[in-house]
Amino acid sequence: MISQIGSIAISLAGGLIFSSFLFLGLFNFLGKKNYLLVAERAILATCYSIFLAFFCLLNELLVSNFNLQYVAQYTSYETPMFFKVTALWAGQAGSLLFWSFITSIFTVVYIFTTLKRMNSLKFHSYLILAFIFSFFILLSNFIANPFDPVSADIVVQNGNGLNPLLQNFFMAIHPPILYVGFTGSAIVFVMALAASISKDITFDWVQSIRRWSLFVWTFLSAGIILGGYWAYNELGWGGYWAWDPVENSSLMPWLTLTAFIHSSMIQEKRGMLKKWNFLLATSTYLLVILGTFITRSGVISSVHSFTAENLGPMFFSFLSLLILYTVFWFFKRKSYLDTDDRIDSFTSREGGFLYNNLILILMCFTIMWGTLFPILSEAWDGNKIYVGASYFNQLNIPIGLVLLFLMGIGPLLSWNYTSKDILLRRFKMPSTISFISGFSYFLFSASFQLYVLVAIMGITFTLTSILGEFYKSYKKQKKSSSNIIVSFTNMLLNNRHKNGGYIVHIGIVLIFVGFIGRAFEVEKEFSLAPGEQIYFANYTFKLNSIESEARDNHYAFLSNIDVIDKENQFLTNLKPEKRIYFYWNSDPEKRQPHSELDIHSTIQKDIYSIFSAYDAQKNLGYFKIMINPLVNWVWIGGIMMVIGSLFAFWPSRIKK
Amino acid sequence: MNKVNISISIIFVIVISWIFYLTNFKQDSSFTVRYYSVAELSDISNQIDKVKVGGYIKPNSIVISEEDRLEASFFVYQNDDSVKVYYYGIRPDLFKDDAEVVVSGSFDNSQISATELQTKCASRYEGDLKNTEKI
Repeated sequence: MISQIGSIAISLAGGLIFSSFLFLGLFNFLGKKNYLLVAERAILATCYSIFLAFFCLLNELLVSNFNLQYVAQYTSYETPMFFKVTALWAGQAGSLLFWSFITSIFTVVYIFTTLKRMNSLKFHSYLILAFIFSFFILLSNFIANPFDPVSADIVVQNGNGLNPLLQNFFMAIHPPILYVGFTGSAIVFVMALAASISKDITFDWVQSIRRWSLFVWTFLSAGIILGGYWAYNELGWGGYWAWDPVENSSLMPWLTLTAFIHSSMIQEKRGMLKKWNFLLATSTYLLVILGTFITRSGVISSVHSFTAENLGPMFFSFLSLLILYTVFWFFKRKSYLDTDDRIDSFTSREGGFLYNNLILILMCFTIMWGTLFPILSEAWDGNKIYVGASYFNQLNIPIGLVLLFLMGIGPLLSWNYTSKDILLRRFKMPSTISFISGFSYFLFSASFQLYVLVAIMGITFTLTSILGEFYKSYKKQKKSSSNIIVSFTNMLLNNRHKNGGYIVHIGIVLIFVGFIGRAFEVEKEFSLAPGEQIYFANYTFKLNSIESEARDNHYAFLSNIDVIDKENQFLTNLKPEKRIYFYWNSDPEKRQPHSELDIHSTIQKDIYSIFSAYDAQKNLGYFKIMINPLVNWVWIGGIMMVIGSLFAFWPSRIKK
Repeated sequence: MNKVNISISIIFVIVISWIFYLTNFKQDSSFTVRYYSVAELSDISNQIDKVKVGGYIKPNSIVISEEDRLEASFFVYQNDDSVKVYYYGIRPDLFKDDAEVVVSGSFDNSQISATELQTKCASRYEGDLKNTEKI
């Protein structure tokens, strides 16, 4: 019964969104405001129908209604309740409905908050939103319907269950957080187009779109970091980023949105860069759809692509229409978006922002070029050619290092123009500390690497510059209060937007600290019998035992390894496991091996252990050990980034 | 155009040219690797330094060395064609019969010596229903 209601709700959403087009057309031709109001209500009703469908699917997952194909595919009676909820986005059909669900939440908020103040944007906002909704509703109705029943000639005794790799807290929350970022960028896209088409770009609009962007950016950042964290802690290859096409697809919109957040500040302060901002705001959502096309079309071979490949042409058509629409309005409104003001000085805050934009866009372009290279090369001469991680690293490491320095240079520049004297005075401290740190690395490092030297100098330069800015603000506050805590709190709260930005930048600097560690990673694969030991990277790894144990839902081989440091002191005990899920199944194909890692994690380095195989006849364990320096700084930096952007996003106290 | 715009344009052109230089459409770039279909490799007899192939692991073709459990060979198939792959190292957990894999390495003597073996990410499987009964 509930599944029928869900199915009807999706169909109803289709009818409602179609009717919204009808009333928008009537409003456009007849000009009666009532038609616009009816269209608005039809869009809201569409959102409510999607909410209903979503909660129906959730109910069916929770009660294990295996008459539905989707429920049977991703859950079983044994699936814990929490993971039954997360199965909502585990598969193609559910994730598409989930996508519509989040878009609906954003649409309702957008209509009741932003559009309440900006009447002139309503018509074009509704038109674009209706188009976006109609596409996803079409997919949910006709291509990937989560309410499709199982074949009539079978009875499902139990569902397949969720893959053990996905039964992890971080994997459960990573997709929805990323989806919030992806779908939220639709609102930024709609706002940019609607304001340009309506020729109503106001100061209020700039502030509003920046707040939306910041919110979306926070979720995109958190989603990307969480994905890396899950991959590192669960997948067992010892890394957090592999330059896979699907990973790149989430990074590209993040880069353009980051550029937009910076350059819209110039529009807010000086009314400049309207055209550029239009392109950044719209391209963010277009890149999201491009990424979705890559993920769901199978056009590029990726371990992250969905197996079902029937959505490719649909997403390609949708993307093409969105691009055509955007390009058409860009040229149509080119003169309106033109601004007379020009950035004339290199040494101005605007100049700094512009270079930052250039770097971010170059980075985005290199990633897009590398990601789409197989398609382009195939179109060129029929040969599908892939670029490897070395391409992305070779290009993005130097570009990233320039960006690192720019984050430190930006705060030292004034708006409009910075004189030579002021520039020298402000650069003195960060430059000195940067050179001292670089020189120290040069003198004391055991293995010198140029990129590491530049990164260390960039990190210290930028940190000194940002902390210097904090100190200057703190000194101002100190004049009005002698209490250190009060002065510090006031300093932080006084300009949340700016300080939040600085906290984000510190987070990114810390992530760069983590990146440095990658230059010093080492790994070794080996086999050991109990009682044997191996010396590697200044540590002795001694295998004490391998035991086995039948547990509730898997069979586990448990290794026990002592790690002894070079001073012959016991450091830690590692217990990586080899698990076999569904081991009771007589068909070996149905059994699922899984390596449960064990990581000795410190702020300096991680000792990462994987129990990859067990030879029962010889009582021999096969292991991989990786020494990964500074990885924790990536997660600490990621947390700071999110905290900083939430700090910047949080509304300021209204001064009475 | 003012000096800021000119400098930005010059930087942009330099970097874009550099990207094009690194990834020319030929196969001799150190950053690129050509994706072959299994059928294409079946017809090739000469040695190729870098190949990338995607397909499914042929059922019952996985042979794991008794001497060293990290040493394995298997066949990757697409439709009716298959190619032998040799791989030394830790195999992904989802490595088993009929698993979708992407392998990279060199091709010689009609077999791939893989340096990289990836299975489809667990979050992307859309498998058939297992515990069913025909009515």
